[in-house]
Amino acid sequence: MREGLIIEDLHLSLRAPAGGSSGSSARPVLSGVGLTVAPGEFVALVGASGSGKTMTALSVLGLLPPQIQAASGSITLGGTDLLAASGAELNRLRGGRIGMLYQQPKRMFNPRMTIGSHLAEPLKLHRGLRGRQARAQALELLTNAGFEDPERVARAYPHQLSGGMAQRAMLAVAMAGQPELLLADEPTSALDKVLERQILELIDTQRRQHGLGVLYITHDLATVSAFADRVVVMDAGRVQEEGPARAVLGAPQTACARELLEACALTRRRIVVAGEAPGLAPSRDILALDGVTKRFAKGRGARPALEDVSLSLREGEILGVLGQSGSGKSTLARLLVDVEAPDRGSITRTLPAGDGKDDGGGASRGVPGTEVQLVFQEPHDAFDPRMKLFASLEAPLLRQRTGTADGRRERIHQAVRDVELDPDLLDRYPSQCSGGQLQRLTIARALLLDPAVLICDEATSALDAVTQRKVLDLLLRLHRDRRLSLIMISHDMNVIRYMSHRVAVLYQGALVELAGTSEFFANPQHGHSKELVAAARAHPAVCSAPVACGDLAACAHRVLGANVAGSRPGTSRLLELVSAPDA
Amino acid sequence: MMLFLARRTAALLVAVLLASFVVFLIPYVTPGDPVRKIIRSRVAGDAIDDSAVQALSAQLGLQDPLWTQYLRWLGRFASGDMGLSYTSRTPVVDQVLPALWVTLSLVVMTLAVAALIAVILGIAAALNEGRAADKAITAVSQAFIAMPEYWLAPMLVLVFALELSVLPSAGWEGPTSAVLPVAVLALRPASHFTSAVREGMLDALGADHVTAARGRGLSYFHTVRKHVIPNGLLPLTTLAAVWFAGLLGGSVIVEVIFAIPGMGRLLFDGVLNSDIPLAQGAVVVVVGLAVLLTTAADLVHGLLNPQVRMRHA
Repeated sequence: MREGLIIEDLHLSLRAPAGGSSGSSARPVLSGVGLTVAPGEFVALVGASGSGKTMTALSVLGLLPPQIQAASGSITLGGTDLLAASGAELNRLRGGRIGMLYQQPKRMFNPRMTIGSHLAEPLKLHRGLRGRQARAQALELLTNAGFEDPERVARAYPHQLSGGMAQRAMLAVAMAGQPELLLADEPTSALDKVLERQILELIDTQRRQHGLGVLYITHDLATVSAFADRVVVMDAGRVQEEGPARAVLGAPQTACARELLEACALTRRRIVVAGEAPGLAPSRDILALDGVTKRFAKGRGARPALEDVSLSLREGEILGVLGQSGSGKSTLARLLVDVEAPDRGSITRTLPAGDGKDDGGGASRGVPGTEVQLVFQEPHDAFDPRMKLFASLEAPLLRQRTGTADGRRERIHQAVRDVELDPDLLDRYPSQCSGGQLQRLTIARALLLDPAVLICDEATSALDAVTQRKVLDLLLRLHRDRRLSLIMISHDMNVIRYMSHRVAVLYQGALVELAGTSEFFANPQHGHSKELVAAARAHPAVCSAPVACGDLAACAHRVLGANVAGSRPGTSRLLELVSAPDA
Repeated sequence: MMLFLARRTAALLVAVLLASFVVFLIPYVTPGDPVRKIIRSRVAGDAIDDSAVQALSAQLGLQDPLWTQYLRWLGRFASGDMGLSYTSRTPVVDQVLPALWVTLSLVVMTLAVAALIAVILGIAAALNEGRAADKAITAVSQAFIAMPEYWLAPMLVLVFALELSVLPSAGWEGPTSAVLPVAVLALRPASHFTSAVREGMLDALGADHVTAARGRGLSYFHTVRKHVIPNGLLPLTTLAAVWFAGLLGGSVIVEVIFAIPGMGRLLFDGVLNSDIPLAQGAVVVVVGLAVLLTTAADLVHGLLNPQVRMRHA
């Protein structure tokens, strides 16, 4: 039997800048990482961003960035020493014995080349197939990757594929060399749950059929729970915890494993928060859409981005808007902040103008055009890279032409402290901050104008699970403290469930369902909603396992409550998650 | 693609028509009566006989309404008749076509040389990013991009024609006579192209799909040849077409300095002698060609980039 992948005591370090002293100044990237993937085994490598997961995978392929070098340790695949392999040997391994999936599949294809020509490369290099044979094999690979029309996909250019299709095509390319090991670096982080499940099932099928070893890198524990045999948890360049999936997910021993679990366990916390704030009796509508239609494409037969959508947001409510990409979610957001005007229908804003003083909020609400604020998906794009953050935050205040420089500074510092950041950060440029910090700052910037409604358009989708959790909790706190009404636009079922009072589902530009959150998740009405909920159920936010579990709440309870309550009473934040842990 | 082509062709025609109208108007909006200018250029003495002015105006059809003149001018132009040169009294077409041929060969040679240099140096710089070779290439190309032709041309003539006597200093006979003008003209586009190729190559090298190609087992050389160079050179096509158009009109200085009988020289002479038909003919041909080339560049770019190609399909 083959040995599979064995990584032992791997140390990676950042090469010291030229001119520096001896090796002592080299910064460690990985410190003594060890893990194994046996043939046919599905191993999940889990960790927050920056924990060294990707570097581990790249070192297996010998594709580390030039400034990072392997200092010591060993990597072997079926007895071959990968660190000692020559360039030519590595080229035979890459795409041959080792296949790789990447996080951004569309960017991993050469935009000038068809999918078919991408497939032809490994088929020729690793299997010596050309011409008709290669074409037949390519079509078979695409069929195995779940395409019903492989001929068309083979002829397609990367930009013609959706994210999910691109990832399946990438899987076909990765399997072309008949690998014994598949490295998957967050292949589904950018996809919604339905597509994620599809990809995972495809990978799992290949694993069973070909005895493929899978190293699946993710920050999302929920993803791996149903598929992984073993889980390896990484943090700060070290393996913190390792074991059978059931053991690690059921009884996490280390703080970082618990934090990751907790981050995925959005469901339970929401119930607690809702319980804490019973006074949230949603009252009147403050935003109302009536029969709104918006069309961008001009041609006949083009589907409107939004069609006849009627929807309202009540004061003090969190409304979740669910939908896959292309469903019209972002168009809805743009209409609500008045960046776009509807072609048909009306949008009524009955905002609590001028009552800010009663709230003790300081500046009065109702500065025209600022009552509804928007937080975007990609925090790095939301700031001018050449402006210091303070200047970016000051800009909207300057437009109001009121107040003094000191007053503005005070307000900005207060807003930054409100989002739990240090005002010193404001001296930096956007590129010097993490995604989580910047996303908090976009929220701070939106709050500076004291809006009544905050629209979060996939505001946490680009963040890792732990950071996402923190930002969501921040939004919940602001919602409670400021009576802020929120519209959470997302494709992530867990986020929607965690945050919302009501859920609206957009599908191909139409509002297909609007219901209370618990009602929606218990009994979705529309076909598309059922599909979404079913996909979320297959990968519940908290689940111990390979065991399918129907009742989410009970499952979370059993897994988290039972195991944590005894060992670390009082200290664990997990206890907050489950309202009444079994002692 | 056909619709794309039709749309581009229509835009091209409109641009040429607009340009032709502006060119047609030039003698009318510049100060001084063109007829008097013509007479003054031929007759010695200050006094100009009014009857002579009248007679010449009538002869040239200058008393008709402006739009009639424009349409007549345009109609003649479209049928290949650019009128008679005021100075030589021969058809402008017979002067423009040989000159166009000379300028086209000069510009094409220039661009070929510039592109060749740029591809070699740009790729070398990008593949050695940050090392001495890259720094040297970048520094030299940035220095040359700012070097004016009217300074460089005399310098090269001084060294190669007068001091070393290895190349002719002027004229347009035989391949050796093209060396200095092409060298002078190619220097700036070569510098510009080099930095463009370097940037394009660096972008292409850093692209995620290049990492993925290595991950499929392609060797470094194979990856660079197949996935980096073709993508990295893409921006050069558009840039080359823009320079092509620019050099058609921009070769004036070099043509005058080296006494090359090209379009620039013709235009220069036409303007200097108030030979309006000659100047107009030369300008319209240059403008028309420039617009045509820019359109061609867009089409080539479209053909090379599937994303553009399919958006217009």
